[in-house]
Amino acid sequence: MYGLQQFRKLYILLVDSDPGACYRIQQALGEGFVLRNATSLAEAKQCLADSLPDMLISEVRIGQESGLELCRFVRLTPSLRFLPVMLLTSHATLQDKVAGFDAGADDYVVKPYDARHLVARIRLLSRMKRFEQNPD
Amino acid sequence: MKKVLVIDDNPTIVELIKYAVNLQGAYNVVVAYDGVQGLERVYAEQPDCVIIDVKMPRMDGYQLVRCLRGDARTMNIPLIILSAMTREQDQMTGLLSGVDDYLTKPFKPSALNAAIERVLRLTPADRQRRMDHLVQTQAERE
Repeated sequence: MYGLQQFRKLYILLVDSDPGACYRIQQALGEGFVLRNATSLAEAKQCLADSLPDMLISEVRIGQESGLELCRFVRLTPSLRFLPVMLLTSHATLQDKVAGFDAGADDYVVKPYDARHLVARIRLLSRMKRFEQNPD
Repeated sequence: MKKVLVIDDNPTIVELIKYAVNLQGAYNVVVAYDGVQGLERVYAEQPDCVIIDVKMPRMDGYQLVRCLRGDARTMNIPLIILSAMTREQDQMTGLLSGVDDYLTKPFKPSALNAAIERVLRLTPADRQRRMDHLVQTQAERE
């Protein structure tokens, strides 16, 4: 896909209550990423408190909980404010997407996804957020 | 006849773009006046090309581009940003969001029409190659 030697490994916190979905995303992303999985909001918040990832990727529906709530938590927490957030989800209506961006997501990717496209989007989103913070 | 969707919250600018687009090309132009309405129009009209302003109510142009690129149903629609935001940072954000071309206002009708013709020729493979190239070049800058 890409010459991995030129890329820094990105640390991704992946929040999805479905272990199968986590496994598939891990397989799709390949070797350029270090993934940590969380299956609930509480676990996700604990992971964020333990160490700051390069990016948060979350489903919209996490069991009975909401990934949008997690987005809002990130945007309202000063230490997490600039964390890139991608919603990777099977919720694909216009209203879902508007709600996702309103909650503070930076990107919204609908399942099923093309692995190569997803990897590129993650890399570009990561770059874009760093660029926003430090244009030089 | 190809269909072009223009999304801009300024009705005067929309009329200017409609006029410019119809100077050269024979396009069916449809319009929307904010990002969410634009997204609705994309689903309803299935345009061949979308011209998008950046600063808009409800959903900005960058978010709209990411929204369209993140869904297999709309990921290969040709997208042009036409914005008054002229800083390199703004253009870079547009390109990283997945737009095919970034033009600034004020614009020349000939430049807009050339951009439309250019992006209409892009194939999904071209778009993926451009994205891969962008990933590579940005990695080299880090």
